[in-house]
Amino acid sequence: MPENKMMKDKQPMIRIDNLHKVFGRDLHVLRGIDLEVKSGEVVVILGPSGSGKSTLLRCINFLEEPTAGSIEVDGVAISAGERGKERDAHILQIRKKAGMCFQSFNLFPHMTAIENIIEGPVTVLGRSRKESIPYAEELLEWVGLTDKRDEHPSRLSGGQQQRVAIARSLAMKPKVMLFDEPTSALDPELVGEVVDVMERLADEGMTIIAVTHEMHFAGDVADRVFIMDDGNWIEEGPPEEIFTNPKHSRSRQFLAHILK
Amino acid sequence: MNDLANTTPDTIPPEAKLVLDRIDQDRRRFKVNLVIAFAVLLVGLFAAMVIIGLDFKFMFNWLGFIMTGIGYTLLVSFLAIALACILAVIGALGRLSSNPIANSLATGYVSLIRGTPLLVQVYMWYLALPQVGMALEEMGIQGVQRLFTLPAIPAGVLALGVCYGAYMTETVRAGIQSIKIGQTEAAKALGMTPRQTLRRVIFPQALRVIIPPVSNEFIAMIKDSSLVSLMGVWELSYRAIKIGRRYFQSLEMLVMVAMIYWVMCIILQYIQERIENHMARGDRRVS
Repeated sequence: MPENKMMKDKQPMIRIDNLHKVFGRDLHVLRGIDLEVKSGEVVVILGPSGSGKSTLLRCINFLEEPTAGSIEVDGVAISAGERGKERDAHILQIRKKAGMCFQSFNLFPHMTAIENIIEGPVTVLGRSRKESIPYAEELLEWVGLTDKRDEHPSRLSGGQQQRVAIARSLAMKPKVMLFDEPTSALDPELVGEVVDVMERLADEGMTIIAVTHEMHFAGDVADRVFIMDDGNWIEEGPPEEIFTNPKHSRSRQFLAHILK
Repeated sequence: MNDLANTTPDTIPPEAKLVLDRIDQDRRRFKVNLVIAFAVLLVGLFAAMVIIGLDFKFMFNWLGFIMTGIGYTLLVSFLAIALACILAVIGALGRLSSNPIANSLATGYVSLIRGTPLLVQVYMWYLALPQVGMALEEMGIQGVQRLFTLPAIPAGVLALGVCYGAYMTETVRAGIQSIKIGQTEAAKALGMTPRQTLRRVIFPQALRVIIPPVSNEFIAMIKDSSLVSLMGVWELSYRAIKIGRRYFQSLEMLVMVAMIYWVMCIILQYIQERIENHMARGDRRVS
């Protein structure tokens, strides 16, 4: 058994192997993606729009069905093309381990902030409301929104909504956080408060995969940066290397465009 | 920014206040005028009745007798709407199902029921179903005929409930489909099963969308419940028509029963508004 434990520690938190995604019959969006992310690592994915970044992220928790390849999150592995009850159960397991934040927040509008946060623990983990509330309040404080506890999302700004959404994901005590352009729908002056929360999350050792064009986050917080183009990686490495000395001409073009 | 705020204290200029006052005045005047207009309309309606020479004494004498029919009207309507709601939810889930049997059953139900007159359906439940029972009994299934021979009120409730259930299936389906895909994705990402997603995220939001059209259906049903009079149930309109014919004063009776329906529907509309306001809480940007 100890060896097993050792093995597990050495295993990456996320392992993606030769992942393909085809929409319809011939829209080949992901073309054989490999990715390994270690526990506690922060990975930022960059790339032109339509290159497949969001699709990759959404394949990790099976919001999109991979067409070929396999995905493993914290020891739970699923191959594309599997069918049946066991696979459905594995998907739910992966979703409990991987929290996701969306570009459009997607808070539940009929629930208050605190109700949004306890929804996962209560409905998915079967906890009582009472025992879920203390940790939810802790999270609310952690994202700096204690005073918005009983507000509905429609009364919150975009930045506040995204912070509640992050707290909602964290209430499930995930092993990984997936950020799908979390600041793209925000007014410029609200971006900072969300990036700040993401940074603190990284500081606390959360494993993070983020699709974002926040260069500050990519440069200062990411351990590794990946650039995707046409469903393939064209660049991979620590941020200082990628930003100062990109190898591929396409990535040079792209970086010149967004660093401008 | 701060300097600017300090140097220009927040004073709304007097001419702006005048404009605001006038907007308030206009709003109040509209409300008052609306009430006056309604009052004039009602008085006009009443005056028309007097001019025609309605026999108010006759109407008053029979009011009690007619009103006892309300019980049947409400009983049939409430039971039928309850049945319709259940069928509508099941039907909507069927219409959205990827299971071919459930989907085709639901689609067939909606198509068949919406494609045939309610009047025919009422007779179908009341007069034609016993014949089906008889045929089955002859094939050797014992006791079906008695089961299929429905008394008037159950037949009416079934006819109305099944019919309105078909229309409301489409309402519920549209309500469910009006919820943005992001809501489902957020629920999935938390690890919810499809059933949990429906119960916790989709239905509560769809309900808000569905309430106005469902109230609409209910109001329509109150009036369609008069169809059970075809089977000899002494509900509101049946009583009014009978008495009107007997004494040759149909006008009085029909006017009276129309008023009773109207008042019932006004009450229902009021309840609907209350429920809508209650449901809209989380929706308001400014309360």
